[in-house]
Order: sequence, then C-alpha cells, then structure tokens
Amino acid sequence: MQREFMSREGQIKGLILDPRTKLLLILMISVFVLGGAGGLKLFILRPILSFIPFVMLVTSGRVGQGMLYALAYSTCYFAQIVLLPEMTGMGSAFILIMSGAFCRFLPGFVTAYFFVSTTTVSEFMAAMERMHIPDKITIPLSVVFRFTPTVMEEANAIGDAMKMRGIGIFGRKRKKLFEYRIIPMITCSAKIGDNLSQAALTRGLGAPVKRTNICNIGFGFWDAVIICICILVVVWSIAYM
Amino acid sequence: MIEFCDVSFSYAGDENVDGVKNINLKIKDGECVLLCGESGCGKTTVTRLVNGLIPHFYGGNLIGSVKYDGRQVSDIPLYDTAMTTGSVFQNPGTQFFNTDTDSELAFGCENLGFGKEEIKRRVESTVKEMKLEPLLGKSIFNLSGGEKQKIACGSVNALLPKVMVLDEPSSNLDVASISDLRNIIMNWKKQGKTIIVAEHRLYYLVDVADRIVYMKDGIIKGEFTSEELINMPNEKRRKMGLRRPTFRLEKKMDYEISGQGKKLVLKDFCFSYRKKQEALNIPSAEFSTGHVIAVIGRNGAGKSTFARCVCGLEKRSGILDFGGKKLGTGDRLKTCYMVMQDTGHQLFTESVLDEVLLSMEKEDEKEALLILERLDLKEYIDRHPQSLSGGQKQRLAIASALAAKKEIFVFDEPTSGLDFKHMEEVAAILRELKEKGKTIFVITHDIELIESCCTDVLQLEAGRIADQYPLDEMGEQKLFDFFSNRKQEKK
Amino acid sequence: MDMNVTQAEAGRLGGKDLITIGVYTVIYIVIISVFGALGFIPIFIPLTAVFCPLVGGIPFMLYLTKTKKFGMITIMGTLIGVIMFVMGMGYWIAIVGFISGLIADLVMKAGNYSSAKLSVLACGFFSMWDFGNLMPFFVGREAYLATLEENYGAEYVANLSSYMPMWMMPVLLAATFIFGILGGLLGRAMCKKHFERAGIV
Repeated sequence: MQREFMSREGQIKGLILDPRTKLLLILMISVFVLGGAGGLKLFILRPILSFIPFVMLVTSGRVGQGMLYALAYSTCYFAQIVLLPEMTGMGSAFILIMSGAFCRFLPGFVTAYFFVSTTTVSEFMAAMERMHIPDKITIPLSVVFRFTPTVMEEANAIGDAMKMRGIGIFGRKRKKLFEYRIIPMITCSAKIGDNLSQAALTRGLGAPVKRTNICNIGFGFWDAVIICICILVVVWSIAYM
Repeated sequence: MIEFCDVSFSYAGDENVDGVKNINLKIKDGECVLLCGESGCGKTTVTRLVNGLIPHFYGGNLIGSVKYDGRQVSDIPLYDTAMTTGSVFQNPGTQFFNTDTDSELAFGCENLGFGKEEIKRRVESTVKEMKLEPLLGKSIFNLSGGEKQKIACGSVNALLPKVMVLDEPSSNLDVASISDLRNIIMNWKKQGKTIIVAEHRLYYLVDVADRIVYMKDGIIKGEFTSEELINMPNEKRRKMGLRRPTFRLEKKMDYEISGQGKKLVLKDFCFSYRKKQEALNIPSAEFSTGHVIAVIGRNGAGKSTFARCVCGLEKRSGILDFGGKKLGTGDRLKTCYMVMQDTGHQLFTESVLDEVLLSMEKEDEKEALLILERLDLKEYIDRHPQSLSGGQKQRLAIASALAAKKEIFVFDEPTSGLDFKHMEEVAAILRELKEKGKTIFVITHDIELIESCCTDVLQLEAGRIADQYPLDEMGEQKLFDFFSNRKQEKK
Repeated sequence: MDMNVTQAEAGRLGGKDLITIGVYTVIYIVIISVFGALGFIPIFIPLTAVFCPLVGGIPFMLYLTKTKKFGMITIMGTLIGVIMFVMGMGYWIAIVGFISGLIADLVMKAGNYSSAKLSVLACGFFSMWDFGNLMPFFVGREAYLATLEENYGAEYVANLSSYMPMWMMPVLLAATFIFGILGGLLGRAMCKKHFERAGIV
C-alpha cells in the first residue's frame, strides 16, 4: 500500500473523481453507514452506499481488493440477517457485535483507503483551497499524508532490527518492548521531519503570499453521478424522518 | 557576491554538532566552490549560513556577517532567500514535500505564488534542460535515490536561483547517479550560477570546481586548485582526511584470508515480493567464512533483497546451509546480523553500555566493556545511543552484534556519507571481523572501501549472480571496469 | 546574542511550525493506533480510553517542547479529529478534537509555553479528544439502541448496554483525563530519559 500512497500512479483508469467528491463520499458513509443516521428505516440504503467503494475499487483496476471487500462485507451482512436468529447466548452476541462493527467500519475504511491511494498531495491541497480551508490546516494535513508512509517505513525497519536482536513478544525483554519500539521511531521520525522542514522552507514554504496551485481539479461526469446519489440519499432520509 | 566577514557560529544547546570560527570567505558570482574536510569540520554549517537555515532554522550564537549582494542573509526571511538561493540536501528521500514528481517540481514556485502559466513554463524548461521526462508522473516512493536527487535538483532549478548550495548531495548515490549529478552541476556552472558544494566525494567535482576550500575544526585551513589537489601526495591527502580526488585504483589489496574455512552454501535462493517479478534467483552459490564479500550491482539488482533473505527477514527464501547445518528463518535471525544504513533504527536502549548488555544471553558487564573498548566506544558508555555520531552508532551496532555472538554480518552501505578517516575506520572493523573468522557481506558503491578491506566480489544483476570473483589482480581490474562502465552509463 | 529569529517572530505560525504540527500528528497517530486497534473488538472499546491517553503522552510531551506559539496544539487536536473522522470514527470526534486541543493550548498559554506542570495538565486535557471516539455510544443512545433492538432483538441490546451502561460516560471521560495526566508524566519521564539525551528536544 505504501508505494501507491498519495499518488496518481495509483489510478490510471476508471472513475476519476475530484478529491472533493471523494471527501463527500467519506462524509456520507461516515454519517449514514457508520453513524447509522436515519435508523432502521434506511437500512436498505447502507448496502447501496457501501456498494460505491466497491465500484470504485474495481473500475480503478483493484479487482482483487474490490472482491475481498465485497466478500467481507456481504459475509458480515448476511451473518447478521441469516445466522443470528438461529443462535443464542454469548457466542452469538459476540459474532453479532463483530459483524455489525465490520459492516459499519469497513465501507468508510475502504473509501478512506481509496482516497489516500488515488489523490496526490497537490490535488488534495488544491481541493482544500477551493473549499476555502486556511493554509494553517491545509499545510499540516498535507504533511500528515506525506509523512505517514515514511513513519511506517521507519516502524518496519525498527521491527526488522528487533527481530535480528531477538526482541519480541515471543522473545526477550517483553516488558520493555513498547519502549524499544517507539523511542527509536520517534527519534528517527523527528529527525526526518527536520530535514523535510528544511527542504520545504528553503523552497519558500510559508511565504506570506497566496500560494498558487497548478493542479487541475474539477468536477466531471462521474462526480455529478456520485453527487446526485448523495443528494438523493439526503433527501430520502429527510423525507423518512 | 557572497561575503563571509569574521563569521563564528555555535549551535544552541547541542555541543555535539560543531560550528565554525572566524570564517572569512568571498565567493564571486558564477564561481563554483567545493568545501571539503572531515565530518564535523563545519562545511555543512557554511552551507547553512549561505541558504539562511542559520539563523532562521538552527538557533545559536552567530557573530559576524554573511552578506549576499550586500544584504545580510540573517535579515532576509527564508522565503525571500529561496528566490535567490537554491538548496539540495544529503538525503534524497527526506526532501520531498509532495508524493508525485510533477507537483514536486512546481512546489517552490507554487509557494512563492507565481502565476500558473509562469510555473508551467518554468517546469517545462527545467524538465527539458535536465532531461527529466522519464520521471514525470511517478510516485516518489517508486524512485531510486539517484532519481529522487535529480527531481530535488529540478525542483530547485525551477525557481531559477542565482546561487546553488548543495550539502553532501552524493552521499546516498551510486556511481551512475553521481555522474548524472555532475552533469547537472556542470550545466548550472555553464549558466553562470554560483555553486557551493560541501562534499566528501571529490572525484566527480574536482575538475568542475574553481576553488577547493579545506576546513578543519570549524576553521578554513587552506585553499587549493584542482591541480594542486590531484597532484597532492596520497599521504598528505589522507592525513587531511580527504577522499581520492580522481576515479582510480590506488593500492594493491591484501588477500589475507583467515577462518576455519566453514562453508556458507545457498541453494535455490529465490524470493519475490507480492505481485512483483522475482527479486532474487540464485540457484546455488558458495562462500567461505573469514571473507569480506562486496555485493555490488545497480539499483534494483536485488542487493537488499539478498541481504534480507540472508538475515532471515524474509520467509520462504530457499536454503541457507552454514557449516553443514541448514538454517531456517529463526536460526538465520540468530546467526546473522544486518548493520542497517540508518543505524538509528537498531539502537533501543538509553545508554551505550545497556545497548551491548541487551544483546547478551547473560549480561556480562566485563565482556561488554571489552567489546566497547575494542570498538573505541569506551569513553561513551553513558551516552544515549541516539546522540552518537553516525560512525559511532555504526560501531555500537557492530558491538551489539558481537555481544550476541553473531557469525554472519551484512552491512548495508556502511560508508555512505563518510569521510576518508571514518571510511578507514569501517574498513578496519571489517578486517577485524574477517580475522575473527566471521563471514561478511558488504553492500556498497564505495570503491575505496572495497579496495581497502574486501576479499571477494559478488555482482548481482536482475536478482541473479552476474559474476563472483576473488579480488586478486584480475578481480581488481574487473571491479574497476565495472565501476568505470557504470560511471559512463547514462540513465 | 541569540539569533533564533523564527522562534522570536511572535504570534504568527510560520512554515516550520506548520510542518512540525504535521510531523508530530503523524507520530502521535501511528503510536496510539497500535492500541487504538483494540477498539475493533467492541468489548475492548472502553480500554482505549486508558491506553491511548497513556501512550499518547510520550509523543505529545515531546511535541510540547516544540510549541511556543498559540494555535499549534489546537490545530493538532483538530487534525487528529478530522483524520479519525475520515478513518471512520464518526463525526463527534472532529468537534471534540478541536475543543480539547483548544483547552490544552489555553493551558499552555497560561504558563507561557514553558511551565512543566502545566504541560502535564495540558496533556490531560488534550487526551480527552479520545472521548470523541466513544461519544456515539452515549449521545443519541436511545435512538441507537432502539434501532438495534428492532434489528437484533432485546437480548443483544441488553448485552450491549451492560458493556456500556450510561454511568460509564463520566467514568470514561474522567479516565481519558486522568490517564492523559499519567501519560503526561510518563512522557515527561521519557523526555528526560531519552529525548533530551538524544538531542532532539
């Protein structure tokens, strides 16, 4: 996943969406699927919304991931409907909670994954600018996207180093495991962060002028489709309430 | 013109990093100045004084004045300096703000609020001038170190600064990428830019630089022309801690080999990452203990995959037989040790002594102190490992591996960014490990290091062994040819 | 003569500050997500109110040594909230993140961004963002439970309610604060033990 993090290489074909549309989709799924807005009356709506990330994954060439998602989602979904009336007791409660949680979390998570793997930092910044979000939020947020894979890489390298020294849950020094893991990670990441700052500052980041963004973003046909679906969902839920 | 007038600087709160003292230096427009000297001599500090990172990023005590065209650099905010002075740094991976190459090229211009059309024009001309077309539209996580450094240069170039400041730009690059870097710098010089480079590797710049400034302990100790440096006797140059000024072989190597002659045999040593083509494919290979084997090859030849498989960091990677015993993944982790490129990743404790004790099956302070003494770390036993210099960290990582009684060592680019003295130190340690009968693999691009301590060469290409030979006279020539060809290779 | 100009440039957040915010937000999130992942198993959800503030204290106390201007902590709280929201933790967290960041910022400002005691207190307040993750269990609870009852039956709802009774709300809120304070103390100890000596403070 790291290699396609925040890159356009991640999406060459399929529905090319404006970053704002993707954010809207995350919002919708967060409110209706995860948040459960609209209650039981809208239960049919959730699978429909959850279907959109599947379409996006498959059309952008991530067929395997799309299938996996569809399989996981439908398993959990049907587990709730079909299996549960048959089972009683703690076991059933546990499965119910788990599958319920999965059904709620998975679509949002997958959409977020799609967002970060198909949007470049620059597109993201352009989108934020169009939404009039101030630089003070936009710049740190884009650093977050840029820096996350780096910190993960550091964490992996430290994990490797620990293996070679026999430190681990099944190895030695269990008590200090956490300390050993995070101290080098914080130290190394902080140093890399310093380098990143220097390189950005010597190229004028933070200048008191309005930042240009040469990235071309804009709404297209598919954006319109998704936005229409979202509007329908909102209207529907209001009408039901 | 850049003018240093009696400049002294010491970093706030960090005594480990050395500042500079009484620097007087005038750099004319269009001049190319190469700053050299041992690590910690203050050459990086000089570059920071020029690009304004001192005092705007690094706080401390600054006396004297650094002026660019009559204006005090310390009075100009960084974003204004950005218009006139471009900076390229040591580590190609950590100087990107964006995740794709196109946006990175435009990043500086965007920050300074240039018009869209203007930015496009500048980026296009940069791409054309520096031949960056093949790199467009890529994710930076898919670029090699050399490609990243090219993009970093391009991004700075798009701002059209008059001054270029480079801080050890070749540290993490291989021979071919260094040639590319040289071409970029040559081109800038032709355009009349003022160029200041702080560097350990001298060979690629010696005929580009107009002046070579030598620093030691924060003071400018001398100035040379290229001829003076090239013709300097080796002894004198080494004493100054400088690396070789031309690309050549210098001395015969010793082929002394020790050890009991245990064998390390690889069979069906294959590995592929998920969804990718095979990264490593070695049907069979044999090595002996008591050898230092240089692992060479271009980017993506499978060097790091090879290292990871030997160390047991990848599962299901074929058979590794050591002294007649097959080592599975777990045994490999116990027997082998990788000294990583960033050794900061493998130091966990709060003091140097603890770090060594951590590796021992049974904590034995006496033994630990002995190991530390041998690796020149005894005076630092109470220091925090992360506060040590790069070379010291590396030695500490080795000390901890010795304490764990490891048999097979893999070094990943142990001399990237090291000056002559520290490179020699690494070579000495490798020789010592060899004498102890350990088996050592060194992934490296550093011909000087190979020359001073390796006994064998393993050349990888596309995951396969392209060549394996001992470093006798013939091997030496082969090795030199390999690097010379790589140097000429155009990417 | 101290020439630390950027630091002295009062008030306005510069490029360096904005990048610092981003960098430490990532470090913070990566570290707490090790334990936050516990929350995927619903029975352990209450435990996240203990572990996340506790371990989060370590990077946060280091971050506080880098903040000398008003706004940096508020922005970090907001960012954490927004990111958690995007990762699918519900919308409450974005609001709670902003508020807890703001309070922590005000606490630090009261001590001129240099008081050690107030930093620990600020860490406590900041850690309360984590409560935003748990809000959906309590706010709009009746409607939520009613939905579940229609869907899964009364037994399930009784089960769930016993995991998360209403009186847990103040308890969890207090837990995030108290363990935030403890995390702050832990973080300060780590700063002394490691970060100061490693030269990154």
